[in-house]
Amino acid sequence: MSARVMPPELVAAFDDEIRRLHGRVSGVIGCVLATTDGRRVSAVVDNEADPQRVSAMVGSIVALGETIGREVMIGRTQFVAVSAVGGMVLLQRVPAKRDLLVVGTLARHNTNLGILLHETGIAAEAAGRTLDEWLGRDQRPA
Amino acid sequence: MSEELKILFAGAMGAGKTTAIRAISEIPPISTEASNSDRAECDKEETTVAMDYGEITLATGEKLRLYGAPGQPRFQFMWPILAAGALGAVVLIDNSRADPLGDLELYLNAFRPLADAGAAVVGIGRMDSFPRPTLEAYMERLAKLDVVMPVIPADVRRRDDVLQILEVLLQQIEAMWAHDETVSGDANPGHRSPEAIS
Repeated sequence: MSARVMPPELVAAFDDEIRRLHGRVSGVIGCVLATTDGRRVSAVVDNEADPQRVSAMVGSIVALGETIGREVMIGRTQFVAVSAVGGMVLLQRVPAKRDLLVVGTLARHNTNLGILLHETGIAAEAAGRTLDEWLGRDQRPA
Repeated sequence: MSEELKILFAGAMGAGKTTAIRAISEIPPISTEASNSDRAECDKEETTVAMDYGEITLATGEKLRLYGAPGQPRFQFMWPILAAGALGAVVLIDNSRADPLGDLELYLNAFRPLADAGAAVVGIGRMDSFPRPTLEAYMERLAKLDVVMPVIPADVRRRDDVLQILEVLLQQIEAMWAHDETVSGDANPGHRSPEAIS
């Protein structure tokens, strides 16, 4: 699959899911869905952050998180979290038949981390189901 | 020289950075590859999205820590992170790409402090199948950019080719340090902070 040739209806479905995540959790100020190699698929960002750059970073950081997880032998990485003075970012892979997508959620510092984790996970699973459905329809997705 | 040296491999997607590090690393290399979603840019299954890492110990006992940078410009945010503390850079160019001289300029400018310090070399791949641009064309482009650095044809799948590139790079760094010693009177330049030139 190439982000360049991703069909509009698939991107629209991802857009819906990202918008839902953005609206579902109080304190969320940005959501990004990107390819694992860092290309933007869908994004809603309220502040000045550049979704293209953030998409590249989400891909890199998820890969780094998973790499260090393997290196220190703690099993499969579930998510990567960045905690800063002004907020937090949660990053995780979209669970699907093919490892093609990652999701990142940016939230204010006073956001409940548990809720954010839960809701980001729900969005990632929904995006994964959408992706799997599309891959199942497309006989030659690559 | 200090006992551990950090060397950076840079260049476009598909230029061979991961391959080069895998060819010479004496430890299982660390890689961060993801499915390549841009097959038009480079037709390979996976691409590095954060970094590669490997190590090699030289006959002199010095250990080289080898870092590979992701090639796509959208990963530029990783380049200064990986270049921090690097004593030298290997810029790999794939001569089969659309604009190899443009690639040279892009990565040279990205790591300009190392190039200006004389701590960089260029390795050109696939010259056998794609003889143009020629080595002379690369030298001319470097001269226009006011940079002097070695340009070496190489097949980075071959361990000896990668080692030759590193040998030239280390000679460059040694020469740079010898020059600095002469100018500054520093009798022990090898023990200064690597950050001094990065």
